[in-house]
Amino acid sequence: MHAFAISGKGGTGKTILSAMIVRELVKRGLVLAIDADPDSNLPEILGVEANGTVGDIREELLEKKYSLSPEYTKDVWLEGKTYEILSENDGFDLIVMGRPEGPECYCMVNNLLRRIMDILTENYDYTVIDSEAGLEHISRRTTIDVQDMIVVTDGSQQSFDTAVRIKRLSEQLKARFDHLYVVINDTKNHPVDIEQVKRTGLSFLGSIPYDPEIEKACFEGVPLPEQSQAGEAVHHLLEKIL
Amino acid sequence: MAEEFPVEIGVVYEGERIRKQDMQVELGGTKVDYKAELVQCRKVDEIEDGKVIIKGRDLQAMEEGGQYPLVILVEVAGEQVEKDLEAVIERRIHDFSNYIEGFMHVNQRYDIWCRLSKKSFQKGFNSFTYLGQALIKLFKAELPIIEKIQITILTEEEDVKPFEEEARKIYEARDARARDLSDDDVDEFYGCVLCQSFAPTHVCAITPDRISLCGAINWFDGRAAARVDPKGPNFKIEKGELIDKEKFEYTGINEMVKEKSLGENQRFWLHTMFGNPHTSCGCFEAIAFFIPEVEGIGICHRNYRGETVIGVPFSTLATQTGGGKQLDGFLGIAIEYMRSPKFFATDGGWNRIVWMPKFIKEQVRDAIPEHLYDKIATEEITTDINELKQFLDQQDHPVKERWIEEAVIEADELEVIPLDQAFAGTRLILKNARIHADKVIIRRK
Repeated sequence: MHAFAISGKGGTGKTILSAMIVRELVKRGLVLAIDADPDSNLPEILGVEANGTVGDIREELLEKKYSLSPEYTKDVWLEGKTYEILSENDGFDLIVMGRPEGPECYCMVNNLLRRIMDILTENYDYTVIDSEAGLEHISRRTTIDVQDMIVVTDGSQQSFDTAVRIKRLSEQLKARFDHLYVVINDTKNHPVDIEQVKRTGLSFLGSIPYDPEIEKACFEGVPLPEQSQAGEAVHHLLEKIL
Repeated sequence: MAEEFPVEIGVVYEGERIRKQDMQVELGGTKVDYKAELVQCRKVDEIEDGKVIIKGRDLQAMEEGGQYPLVILVEVAGEQVEKDLEAVIERRIHDFSNYIEGFMHVNQRYDIWCRLSKKSFQKGFNSFTYLGQALIKLFKAELPIIEKIQITILTEEEDVKPFEEEARKIYEARDARARDLSDDDVDEFYGCVLCQSFAPTHVCAITPDRISLCGAINWFDGRAAARVDPKGPNFKIEKGELIDKEKFEYTGINEMVKEKSLGENQRFWLHTMFGNPHTSCGCFEAIAFFIPEVEGIGICHRNYRGETVIGVPFSTLATQTGGGKQLDGFLGIAIEYMRSPKFFATDGGWNRIVWMPKFIKEQVRDAIPEHLYDKIATEEITTDINELKQFLDQQDHPVKERWIEEAVIEADELEVIPLDQAFAGTRLILKNARIHADKVIIRRK
């Protein structure tokens, strides 16, 4: 299993890029898409239905912890629920992480989830994680073992700063990924500035050209088109990695 | 059988997920109203060893992509096979059926959800006979106490529905027994070190009468987790010998505490907050705190925002209590522990509880002895220690018995001479005495 995580500053196009990577990887094998952004919209962009979120079942388990029958142990309950909320589609499955944690103790439930996710991801050729905008998923090491971390930037200095912070943090925490790449998501008015990328110290994977078809889909709130100029660019980016 | 078996069987297939797109049939699951699996112990002459009975439509007669009801009944016999083991054996249906290539089994009891892959169906796994045979083979290999085993598969709603209804009664009876399970009934306890990332010397001792401090891991969860991953954060503790019946001190717990607290702590007394109490992590649901002024115990839960009767809020108590240290008079607990028959048994149990927020008092109402319910103060009655004392006095709270014979001897210097000389023929009893000395000097005569 080869896992990609897409991260970066909010609003840079993480979810769109994640969706395009899923679309591309489906041509090569079976894909698990993980929407790890609490403000999730990966299902809509991929044009599929989500059946619930991990956050919801995690809360449900904590609420029910005293009322479940004693011999119906929580590991079994949680595994069953995780499979139930998995959205099964042609070529890929999707799981939505949903709401973040509340004030209670999540040690037990997260420990169970780690195991369930480890077993689940083994069933796929590729896993694509659309991460939340913050850096918490790195600092708390909740991300599953990831080979390639792709940081999306929109060309703005702030988005490059985020890329640098992610690099620094992952070094400090000895985070579990092999490669850290930066991808530039082009906006209409700003051509790619390679010098700015070089200053981040991250490997430059490539850029995604501005594509009016993608913009149109976003504004209309419809799934991404199957074929697009941007999709073509993502195809070439992945060729470099795989 | 091995030569002609159509698919492979092995641990490698555990965790294999069958996707909707790849499945031949789905059995049970949320889209099917009736389904169940059950293990029953029988007498040796009641079953036929190795027999697989199929009643209803078999796999080859099921529509591709269809959903069907399912019952898996496993009947076992053997000299050492006891009724108490039924649930444990039943849980293995999940493990063993997942060893079959192309067969997925999720959940248990009335929730089972199975899928067979198209690939395995095409390889010839087209009858439940194979499922039965595989289970029989695995059960006998892994659980040698099973001398005879017979398996029945039902797939028609008219059979599955009444079966599930009967099975539910059996599960309920089992649950009732499980809820009554006490520390004395088992040989093994479980430990949990999930919180050591926050409190490196803390370890939870989980027993039938003592749920983890977070309330999330009961004895059954501990057992399940330790079996799946014996070297993981939940592990088995051999109970060992009960060396102190009053303090609930077990040799097995002590050895575990020594090892897992990295030598920081040596012994745990399971059901007390004094002496060598259990340690507290950081994510306990509530805190029990001793109130010396009234000789009683107060309890405060995590979501209580106000001040407790000792003038500090939960957050302050939590800072003091957590971190994996043994502290006299401060202990993190799960709310469910208040329902334990051994709830602070060493310290007097409910007779010692004097204050708790109304919210949890209502939540655990069923566990509070009826005659004590009104005698326990809440924040609505008082958050002042002097008022609490008056309240307990008026209510005639049993903790009052501990107040009598209170005397204070104050002296700048008190010389204590060995008893045989000074008080020959008399007896001195100090009850509930607290002795404070800046310096103690012992001199040889």
